[in-house]
Amino acid sequence: MMITKQEFLVRTQIQRETLEAWIQEEWLIPGESAGELTFSDADIARAQLIRDLRSDLGVNDEGVGVILNLVDQVHGLRRVLTEVLRSVRSRA
Amino acid sequence: MKDPYETLGVERSASPDDVQKAYRRLAKKLHPDLNPGNKEAEERFKEVSAAYGLLSDADKRARYDRGEIDASGAEQPRQRFYKDFASEAEGNPYENYSGFADFADSDDVLSELLRRSARVRARGADVRYHLPIEFLEAVTGATKHLTLPDGNTLDVTIPAGIQNGQVLRLRGKGRPGIGDGKPGDALVEIAIKPHPVFAREGSDVYLDLPVTLSEAVLGARITVPTPTGAVTMTVPKGSNTGTVLRLRGKGVLRRDGSHGDELVRLKVMLPERSDPELEAFATKWEGGKAYDPRRDMKP
Repeated sequence: MMITKQEFLVRTQIQRETLEAWIQEEWLIPGESAGELTFSDADIARAQLIRDLRSDLGVNDEGVGVILNLVDQVHGLRRVLTEVLRSVRSRA
Repeated sequence: MKDPYETLGVERSASPDDVQKAYRRLAKKLHPDLNPGNKEAEERFKEVSAAYGLLSDADKRARYDRGEIDASGAEQPRQRFYKDFASEAEGNPYENYSGFADFADSDDVLSELLRRSARVRARGADVRYHLPIEFLEAVTGATKHLTLPDGNTLDVTIPAGIQNGQVLRLRGKGRPGIGDGKPGDALVEIAIKPHPVFAREGSDVYLDLPVTLSEAVLGARITVPTPTGAVTMTVPKGSNTGTVLRLRGKGVLRRDGSHGDELVRLKVMLPERSDPELEAFATKWEGGKAYDPRRDMKP
């Protein structure tokens, strides 16, 4: 389900300027529809992850970028591993 | 449980007044006492009342908007974590495959497997090649065929005036992409082989040109090789070894479309075999003893 920027701000409770900074950093990559930014459930969850990192875990902004990059790589690897396993099983 | 905004038919941004108006409008239509025997109206009335109960309370409404409670007012556990979305979503824009690009590239089994998989998409890797070319090919430009390790060939167009060590990027000629990913690029590094007579510095070509003693002393019109063919040049009377003559525009094409120069350094050569006439002349030539070409080297 895609939601608007306004609703995204309400759901995640982050400031408009903060959101813009996060998009600038490419921590968040919203979609676009009819000239309006749209956000997915995954974006909301990602925003909460960023908030957890910064406020609960004491990670600074530089660290957030590094962590997100590694997290994204892990998910890329997990996807590949899933594919590999699927393929191995189908041959066995 | 349906979305209370939808139930009442109001926008998320609706004011408390709008919410109340919408509720009243629906309640008048759906109230069970006004619709005896209409089971559906009764059900809808319950929904509308519950929705109004939630949205008319500013605090509950705010908590619902933040997703902390659901439409029935029950506490919501924290929504699923990011990982839940990341692992299920197709085309997750954040996913990053750089973590395996190196071995996907070197392992045929894995790269083939990933290529067939529609779920994984990554740009192919760039491949570096080393291409030696002749000096004159670098000056005039050429088309070279590069034979790849897999037996295929790649046509490489060498632009005139290319520099030693320059890298040509051939888009899409690298490793194939994974899934729908674009192929990588071929990066061809050019190595210019040395030439037996020409040397090059930037866009200028250097040539050491042997001349005879008489040509140097008396001057002459002589034929000089250039990268683009021989030309005739005048050696002025009284030239010496080390005299540099400039042939304008006979050098290498520059980026701005002009050409560098060819710089011809003269080298006076005595005849290969000793010549009695020359010896006789040198013996009686007083002027030959009157100058010192090594005067600058004296301590």
